[in-house]
Amino acid sequence: MTRSSVVKWIVIASAAILALAAGSYFGVRTLQSKPAATRPATGLLGTTLPDAEGRQQRIEQWRGKVVVINFWATWCAPCREEMPLFVRVQHELGERGLQFVGIAVDQVEKVKPFARELGLNYPILIGGYGAMELSRALGNTVMALPFTVIIDRQGNIAYEQLGVVKPETLRRTLETLL
Amino acid sequence: MLALAGTGLLPCELNAAEPKLLPPEQAFRFAARALDDHTLEARFTIAAGYYLYRDKLKFAVADSVIANPLLPPGKVKTDEFFGRVETYRGAVVVKLPLGAPITGRTLVLAADSQGCADAGVCYPPTQQKVTLELPEAGRGPGKLVDANPAKKNWFN
Repeated sequence: MTRSSVVKWIVIASAAILALAAGSYFGVRTLQSKPAATRPATGLLGTTLPDAEGRQQRIEQWRGKVVVINFWATWCAPCREEMPLFVRVQHELGERGLQFVGIAVDQVEKVKPFARELGLNYPILIGGYGAMELSRALGNTVMALPFTVIIDRQGNIAYEQLGVVKPETLRRTLETLL
Repeated sequence: MLALAGTGLLPCELNAAEPKLLPPEQAFRFAARALDDHTLEARFTIAAGYYLYRDKLKFAVADSVIANPLLPPGKVKTDEFFGRVETYRGAVVVKLPLGAPITGRTLVLAADSQGCADAGVCYPPTQQKVTLELPEAGRGPGKLVDANPAKKNWFN
């Protein structure tokens, strides 16, 4: 092997290693986004939490609709960033049987001004830190936020997402379920 | 038609890489040592791609909050809801002057922290604890104690 061919080999090998490293780097950044293997959302539907006014709300009351449950908190910047999308989609698709429900891993006094500022048009339930356990039972094993699950009209979990929901994925998923 | 389009795109999502998000105690590794009989040193080793909020760091010894932690300046960023916030990346070392004298030579230091991953998720406030031995007056620093020592893991 000549010297120049050795150099060429080293260049090619380095490029390949870099490409692999880049691939795994971006792979690591990919968040969990999957159509869940359909399973009943019994535990979630049976959950009762207070809303911002202190009234107890059972999630079961929205059974029959396509329900998007979004776990969020005011201290979570990516959560807040995606909520204007939820307001728009609730406005657009609410009449077709879509219901967003936010579960705040937070305190009511922090949630209220935020809900007003954003003009939230869907109910927010106050879960406190206990809501993290509820989300873990639904598949949020690293217990981070935001975490979103979509329940179909039959009461099954059809979709779950850790991290921000992509607008096109949300709309596509909802169209198939509505 | 819409249903078909949806189904057509599903396999791509199923094949998406599984998340490799670290649990908070691994993303934000906490360790501490006693520098002398009245000063502690707390360290966070923050994994690449993660950051901690400066104003969410709180330290306490036996449920009594350390009033004046020497928090180094962080990187300033503007949050549309919280305004000006400072964040730490990489590593952060915080000196903790102990106010009241400590009874006994062993103490438990609790650190509260809250941070996020660049991948677009945040972790709830997390508390980690270490038990430290205070050195005698005039003696050098004690050894660094990890809150969550790395476990042997075949996949690391």
